[in-house]
Amino acid sequence: MVFMAASNEEIKPNEAKKVVPLHTWMLISHLKLSYNLLRRPDGTLRRELAEFLDRKAVANIVPVDGVYSFDVVNRTTGLFNRIYKPAPLDNNGSLHRLATGILDFESPLSSSEIVPVIIFFHGGSFTHSSANSTIYDTFCRRLTRDVQGVVVSINYRRSPEHRYPCAYEDGWEALQWVCSRSWLVSGKGRKVYVYLVGDNSGGNIAHNVAHQAAVSGVEVLGNVLLHPLFGGEKRTESERRLDGKYFVKLEDRDWYWRAFLPEGENRDHPACNVFGPRGCDLAGIKFSKTLVVIAGLDLVQDWQWEYVEGLKRFGHDVKVLFLEKASIGFYFFPNNEHFCKLMEEMKRFLKG
Amino acid sequence: MKRNHTAVTAATSAAGTSSTTAADVTEKGKNNNNMWNEEDAGVDELLAVLGYKVKSADMVDVAQKIEHLEGVFGNDDGLSQIASDSVHYNPSDLHSWLESMICELNPSPEPVIIDDSFVNDSDLQAMIYPPAKKVKPNCSSSSSSSTVTGSANPNPSVQNNSNNQVVIVDSQENGIRLVHTLMACAEAIQQENYQLAESLVKQAGMLAVSQAGAMRKVATCFAEALARKIYRLSPQPPHDPPAFSDLLQMHFYETCPYLKFAHFTANQAILEAFAGKKKVHVIDFGMKQGMQWPALMQALALRPGGPPTFRLTGIGPPSGDNTDYLQEVGWKLAQLADTIHVEFEFRGFIAGSLADLEPSMFDLRNDEVLAVNSVFELHQLLARPGAIDKVLSAVKQMSPEILTVVEQEANHNGTSFLERFTESLHYYSTLFDSLESSGGGGGAAVNGGVDVGVNGGGVSPVSSEDRFMSEVYLGKQICNVVACEGVDRVERHETLTQWKTRLDSAGFEAVHLGSNAFKQASMLLALFAGGDGYRVVEEDGCLMLGWHTRPLITTSAWKIR
Repeated sequence: MVFMAASNEEIKPNEAKKVVPLHTWMLISHLKLSYNLLRRPDGTLRRELAEFLDRKAVANIVPVDGVYSFDVVNRTTGLFNRIYKPAPLDNNGSLHRLATGILDFESPLSSSEIVPVIIFFHGGSFTHSSANSTIYDTFCRRLTRDVQGVVVSINYRRSPEHRYPCAYEDGWEALQWVCSRSWLVSGKGRKVYVYLVGDNSGGNIAHNVAHQAAVSGVEVLGNVLLHPLFGGEKRTESERRLDGKYFVKLEDRDWYWRAFLPEGENRDHPACNVFGPRGCDLAGIKFSKTLVVIAGLDLVQDWQWEYVEGLKRFGHDVKVLFLEKASIGFYFFPNNEHFCKLMEEMKRFLKG
Repeated sequence: MKRNHTAVTAATSAAGTSSTTAADVTEKGKNNNNMWNEEDAGVDELLAVLGYKVKSADMVDVAQKIEHLEGVFGNDDGLSQIASDSVHYNPSDLHSWLESMICELNPSPEPVIIDDSFVNDSDLQAMIYPPAKKVKPNCSSSSSSSTVTGSANPNPSVQNNSNNQVVIVDSQENGIRLVHTLMACAEAIQQENYQLAESLVKQAGMLAVSQAGAMRKVATCFAEALARKIYRLSPQPPHDPPAFSDLLQMHFYETCPYLKFAHFTANQAILEAFAGKKKVHVIDFGMKQGMQWPALMQALALRPGGPPTFRLTGIGPPSGDNTDYLQEVGWKLAQLADTIHVEFEFRGFIAGSLADLEPSMFDLRNDEVLAVNSVFELHQLLARPGAIDKVLSAVKQMSPEILTVVEQEANHNGTSFLERFTESLHYYSTLFDSLESSGGGGGAAVNGGVDVGVNGGGVSPVSSEDRFMSEVYLGKQICNVVACEGVDRVERHETLTQWKTRLDSAGFEAVHLGSNAFKQASMLLALFAGGDGYRVVEEDGCLMLGWHTRPLITTSAWKIR
């Protein structure tokens, strides 16, 4: 007996509040609100205010909930990366050493087992957030704990101050940096077992870095793209249908592309429209297997599906996890089923 | 809570685009069985982990503020300019940050602040919106799409064994889920499984917050009532001074047409019974603010052949401070009578219960015609055995020309708690639904019996204060129906069929209210902006006002057989 049935034909403005979990709704709405304050119509950003409003977390070498973290500067880029490791089992006093602030940069992660090293590129539409943003720090900690691997969260130069191809250069540099760290090596093969993971713009960067890796012969074992940021000049059905309905407006998306792409470029630039009219050719290269996670309430999903189709067309291994009722940012909180499904799927993908 | 960490020897501090502000991050599981530091008590843990300090109790408020600001920002780019020039204080205290943004953009006066002791029981709020405990979700593939159970705690040394059910606002069927949760809770209470009931009521409370509009309010009222029942916090009536109850009813009067309908139709019947009589007397079983009588008096004044002398006896409950508030009401009516040239006499009676009254108290005069009027009073007598019979027999003894009865059209007096709960859930949902839709109302004073004239023309919009007070008014009824028992449970509504049986066996027979009353009641409804959903229905000579297909109020008239 339903005596208060709402008519669901047309999505009303406050529909997001009914469908999206409360915490997620609050966080994403709040971020949306603050980002509105930061973007100027002329394409510049209030960077100092952005840094002030962004909640940041410090690294902590003392394990908390089984994970510890520390920051390392990449001397080439001058940016720091944050490393997350599962806390060691204390059979050889390693926990004690950590507590006294001693980090081991000599030994490999393991000489027998393979320990996955996940290079994580945070999202923020190429513009917002950092590796030490609390939302991402928390996510990386959860990821580290669930996968029991090492997570390296990368800082990349952001737009509008630094446009294409800076983020990609920093991403490529990060991959090379990770692969050359002796303390990230594991397994009998004595190499770094790398995966690339990114959400939103981080997903876009992950694709790009994977592409470069495939072309250069650097082995990447897999990519996980969490509602990656792609786009194009044409307006897709999902963009029209969901414009403004679940936190994101198309015009905001356009702002971020204008801020990232070289001046004078349009959205069919291959950085944005990967398999579009000016798109990449991925034929004949050993492109890593990919898991694309698509949120059903993300207005950009049609572009993500096109990306998936594109990979398939070139004969590459791609899998989709479609979370129909998830909105963007669903993974910031663990108290919902989308998060659970994501972690399950990622565990499977990263161990296989 | 600050973290203790020693300097990291192998890493240099951050360079590059992000400067680190050391944010306080809640430290979990650090050999510390006490999860809650005093300053963190009541703070939503999930948000705290992300660097935002929001009290669980403030969650709803913060959400509303965000929504409000969204609306403000939605369409105006220039606004963001202004906003960014404002001073930002601690951005991790979301509540204040949002508040300061709102004040920057819209320095408007604060809405009416209601005295908390009438409206809120803050202990109750804490029960219904508990501080969010950490949840480790149960990720079994067969879990239903919206409910996750789990016990909190990543730190294995501290076991949290409470049955923490976190419910996810995940699908649009949440309204249905909410209803089921409320019903399941009521069932658990009926079966005296209070532990289950307790966790269900918390679940319902959280689900309710995820709803919007009428559903949210109804669900919140019922969840609160259930909580009161579970924790045995029933208020002992009468805990509200009559002044406050009257105030609430007045707002309800303004907000929606039910009371106006009730008065109008009752007055119609009384007018007809008084036709051609020179001296008339009305005994009002629930005087309140006397809102029913000006219209009757005006109608009497305009009677062809002139008005009768009009005597009014008003009965009301004792006020806590022994003031004679009835006299004040009578005085105002006397002033009105003066201006319209109706000879008027008023007498007020304070009585704890109608059953305390004897016919001899009323100074009944032989040359007078008597009408007895009861609006929402008779059902209260069902709380004490024998009371209704005593009152009906007293009325009979007084030989009125007519007895007008207005009652809620619902059976909230069943013996089974679950039955009562289900019935009232339906009833009040419909009522709240209509409140939500009523954009207009008030203002129109209708002259019963003559032309349906509108005083002052036009319809004034319902103020949010009116609506809020109406919700409080209904909320108290809900609490009484659900949470009280025995003599405390006074909201013992019964249906027309049930009243018919009672009045029949007491020696009364129904008087048809007439098609004229029906037509005029329908016209009255047409004056309401939210009038689309309201329906007047005639049943066996009685008139019912309802919302869509559900009748909610019934007016009936009776005479001695």
